[in-house]
Amino acid sequence: MSGPFIVDAHAHTGAMGLFFSPESEAPELLARMDGLDIQCCVNAGAWTYLLQGGREGLETLRREHEASRGRILYLGVFDPRRGREALRELEEACRRPGLAGVKIHPTFHRTPAEAPGYEALWRFAEEHDLTVLAHSWSSSEHNPAQALSLPGRFEAWVRRHPAVRLVLAHAGGRGDGRADAVRLAREHPNVYLDLAGDIFCYRLVETLSAQVPANKLLFGSDFPWLDPRANLSRILLADIPTPTKRRILRDNALEAYKLNLSS
Amino acid sequence: MERRSNDGAQAEPGLDARVEALSRGRKEQAERLELFDANAWLGEPAGFPLARGMEAPGLRKALESCGSREALVSHWAGLRVAAQAGNRALAQALGQAGGGSGMRALWTGLPLFPREAGPLPGAGELGFPTGGVRLFPRSHNFPLAVWVLGGLCGWLAERRIPLFLWHVEIDWPSLHALAVAFPRLPIVVETQTQKILYQDRALFALMKDCPNVLVETSNLAGADFLRFAARELGARRLLYGSFLPVNDPWAPIGMILDADLPWEEKRLIAGDNLRRLLAEVRG
Repeated sequence: MSGPFIVDAHAHTGAMGLFFSPESEAPELLARMDGLDIQCCVNAGAWTYLLQGGREGLETLRREHEASRGRILYLGVFDPRRGREALRELEEACRRPGLAGVKIHPTFHRTPAEAPGYEALWRFAEEHDLTVLAHSWSSSEHNPAQALSLPGRFEAWVRRHPAVRLVLAHAGGRGDGRADAVRLAREHPNVYLDLAGDIFCYRLVETLSAQVPANKLLFGSDFPWLDPRANLSRILLADIPTPTKRRILRDNALEAYKLNLSS
Repeated sequence: MERRSNDGAQAEPGLDARVEALSRGRKEQAERLELFDANAWLGEPAGFPLARGMEAPGLRKALESCGSREALVSHWAGLRVAAQAGNRALAQALGQAGGGSGMRALWTGLPLFPREAGPLPGAGELGFPTGGVRLFPRSHNFPLAVWVLGGLCGWLAERRIPLFLWHVEIDWPSLHALAVAFPRLPIVVETQTQKILYQDRALFALMKDCPNVLVETSNLAGADFLRFAARELGARRLLYGSFLPVNDPWAPIGMILDADLPWEEKRLIAGDNLRRLLAEVRG
């Protein structure tokens, strides 16, 4: 294949309340993808949709998917505090093109990852063969709510729903979450790790590549929180074999999200 | 674009060659940037439980592996123990590394009054040429205020020695007041030890208002921040830093390499700006 081939497994679109961003909208993401050989990305939602959910947010993501000619796939968001309503919206989204899975964010939604309110989502994902992307991080003095998303909290769901593919976003973060994220990815065939965010730790790509099976690491940018150019170069310039880089940049996302991309 | 019906991934023809070409091209370009790292560290890191410390030989090797032959080097003991302990450890490490190591000292400073035993910038001999001075106002318990730091800032400004500050150690109104009070003092805002993203509105406004404020780029990682900052504030105000050995240097290098900027501006950010700043240091 000669065109763009990289898959960005974790991006967002839309203006962000928490910070200023020179670029954040879907056309800007698309232009950035064009410049960096990125064929396709998985959009994990706009800031407002992540926080509030709702039909309107899903509709915006679907429109962006269409306008991108299918290059920007998207995730629905499940907030257990509005579980039934969220599932109704996701049910509708499943009937339309572009939905690649469901994002859960225990930290934003102030609900521990193991809380019973998530049971309906895991059943839904299994019934509809959807991938779950979960925010994961380490304990944090600066943000104690990150403890709600410690990787170990997802383990019971992974055991109970082995057919659901779980991607742990940010690979458990920069601290005590990492070891559990690695353990889950090693022990459970359905657990993957994405490299999105500012987990810029020295030789992280090399370390994780050596610790988890070759099909488990995914390139993600976390655009516009982070510039895709940062993590892209880390993978391209990592001290790992070229086929491993290719897997991280493309193949593993195709597997984790069950994507079939034509070149 | 469809969802596939079966699990598993198969290598597509020619992809490995393309990955290889992208990797090689970036590596070659990084060599040509002539990087001068404004943010490299010796000793055991504080606050990063998974990070491993480095001594001078290891740090030098890590720097060279990404194309950096020059670096401003700090010592973690300056934060985790005391300013003086960090300066002693840094002087010892640089002495052992030798003059051709490409490493230049970034000392840890304290207010000049009340006077404290050295070695400290502005209070006694440090032993090696000064590349810059960093303060930790929060961790070392003093306000970032002219009435506390006026003596030191005057000493630095007279010698054109850049003042370095982690954004997590300052408050923005105080930094603004200091930058206005000492317009000839180069002040470098550093983007550690958490990403500066959530402070970017304050950072960019400060830089717009104070031409003597520069920013280090190890975690200036928001989407298209480099191009925005170069266009709105000037490429001469951006300094490449790695935050080695805590962080991966390829993240900030990658943002420079792929930035939508002319090659000359990439070179400025990568190292020439810091060379220019250090060339102006007196004494």
